[in-house]
Amino acid sequence: MAYIWPIGGGKGGSGKSFLTSSLGRLSAGLGKRTLVIDLDLGAANLHTLVGVPYPKKGFSDFIRKKILRLEDTVVETPFENLFLISGAHDNFDIANLPYEQKIKTLRAIMKLDYDSVLLDLGAGTSFNTLDFFLISQHGIFITTPEPTSIENVYRLIRSIYFRRIRYCFNVTDFKALEDEVVIQFGDGSFNKPECMIKVIADVYPEKYEQLQDVFSAFRFKLIINQVRKHDNAALGMQMSRMIEKHLGLHIEFAGNVAYDDHVHDAICQRVSFLDRYPCTRTACDLHEVGKQIVQPGGQQLMFRYL
Amino acid sequence: MPKGFTQLNYYEVLDIKPDAMAFEIRHAYNAALQVYQPGSLASYSFFPEDERQEILSLVETAYRTLISDQARKDYNEELIRRGELDVRKEAASAAKKPVSIFNIRRNPVAKVALTNNVTLKNKINQSQLIGDILAQNELCGADLKKIRMELGVLTEQIAQETKIRHDHLCSMEEDHVARLPAAVFLKGFVKSYLKCLSLEPVEELSARYMDTVARLPQK
Ligand SMILES: Nc1ncnc2c1ncn2[C@@H]1O[C@H](COP(=O)(O)OP(=O)(O)O)[C@@H](O)[C@H]1O
Ligand SMILES: [Mg+2]
Repeated sequence: MAYIWPIGGGKGGSGKSFLTSSLGRLSAGLGKRTLVIDLDLGAANLHTLVGVPYPKKGFSDFIRKKILRLEDTVVETPFENLFLISGAHDNFDIANLPYEQKIKTLRAIMKLDYDSVLLDLGAGTSFNTLDFFLISQHGIFITTPEPTSIENVYRLIRSIYFRRIRYCFNVTDFKALEDEVVIQFGDGSFNKPECMIKVIADVYPEKYEQLQDVFSAFRFKLIINQVRKHDNAALGMQMSRMIEKHLGLHIEFAGNVAYDDHVHDAICQRVSFLDRYPCTRTACDLHEVGKQIVQPGGQQLMFRYL
Repeated sequence: MPKGFTQLNYYEVLDIKPDAMAFEIRHAYNAALQVYQPGSLASYSFFPEDERQEILSLVETAYRTLISDQARKDYNEELIRRGELDVRKEAASAAKKPVSIFNIRRNPVAKVALTNNVTLKNKINQSQLIGDILAQNELCGADLKKIRMELGVLTEQIAQETKIRHDHLCSMEEDHVARLPAAVFLKGFVKSYLKCLSLEPVEELSARYMDTVARLPQK
């Protein structure tokens, strides 16, 4: 069974696709059969970053039932061991993927026969994006050191937290919980999972235990991308501490990736940044972060809500 | 039941152990300010403004209480009464083992910048490239750089560990003879560099490097 790394982040432009392609390259370079899947439908560009400007087939063929098995939509890339399911040719948003299709896709992704699978999830907090993120416990959050991006990544983290809680309840019970949270913690608390979990501890102790187990199995990581010289290098650690302390969620800071204009140059020249500029700080950072992705500790626990 | 931030005791608020010393308390206080101050990126959008104020004033109170010997003593007694601090261990005031009162389930993993020696040594042994370079009769700065890159170590990390100035490291790696420090220093630098990367035998390799550099043309 493949290791699945969903990659999400607050904002468009924070570097999710760039990091997905780079981490995919690093993983493939170590001889692992690696598949990158572009689920940022509507803003798909992963194919360009992995050197497949005109993919012959892709995810849309699976959705439109032109190709029945997801594994048959895979195309090769110029890089050994690196494969792609392209999101090009899709002009709908992943948010609009109907429920049955989503479940079918999630199941198919889990069954793929690769060593690692990286999902480029695109921005936003639609339920579908959250569900894809929660497909494995190895989700990676990407943000830049800008308030706008940080705001969005915090929103995403809270949404994921909520979404996971939501799986444990039916609609009516969840609604009742939401009401209770507002009664106990006031109006501003409806979007605070940390408040909801307190109510759950109180009223559904068993479910609370269950959720604690789920949350402690998460191995989420945080990457700060496009870090410039004068940025606070400790930001990632600080954020990770904030999340731990105030949300009770453990998200490990996996490292900073330096900003470098050569990234832009490489993308414009349509060459791989890691090949073209291997000695840059950014490339070193990618290697450093990549190590943690490529050699994960422990076993992949599949998320079992399906 | 998870505790809300406002229910944490002062030690928990500042993320320190009950036997923390004054400098640790000060350090923790500064760290907390950096995170919770209104202009801080790390907590941007995380709380509504009133909640941030509440947290900041709690941090402030925690600091003032713990930094003052008398106030801290009183507070400890209160914690003992509340059953949050272990009386017995607290009584042995020079306790070597700090009392864990934290309700933190999972400890954040502190990331160490440089890979440890064992990992480096393994990599060195397993790398064809490094083996080839070390088997040569010559060893120049460019070779050192290749080895370093292969090991995935940054010059910044070496600079941090060896305290050698970063531009010196760059001149060494670029074999920029004119900019290299005098031989006596250079020898020390290259030894530190080799040690930092766990390359052995240090004496022999550093001598080889010095020989090679002495024969390089001035750029
Ligand atoms: N580390 C970096 N240094 C410099 N520029 C970067 C870096 N990471 C990403 N970029 C730039 O940001 C742009 C957007 O990146 P992309 O991966 O497409 O973002 P996303 O997929 O999150 O929308 C890229 O075209 C690239 O020019
Ligand atoms: Mg993208």
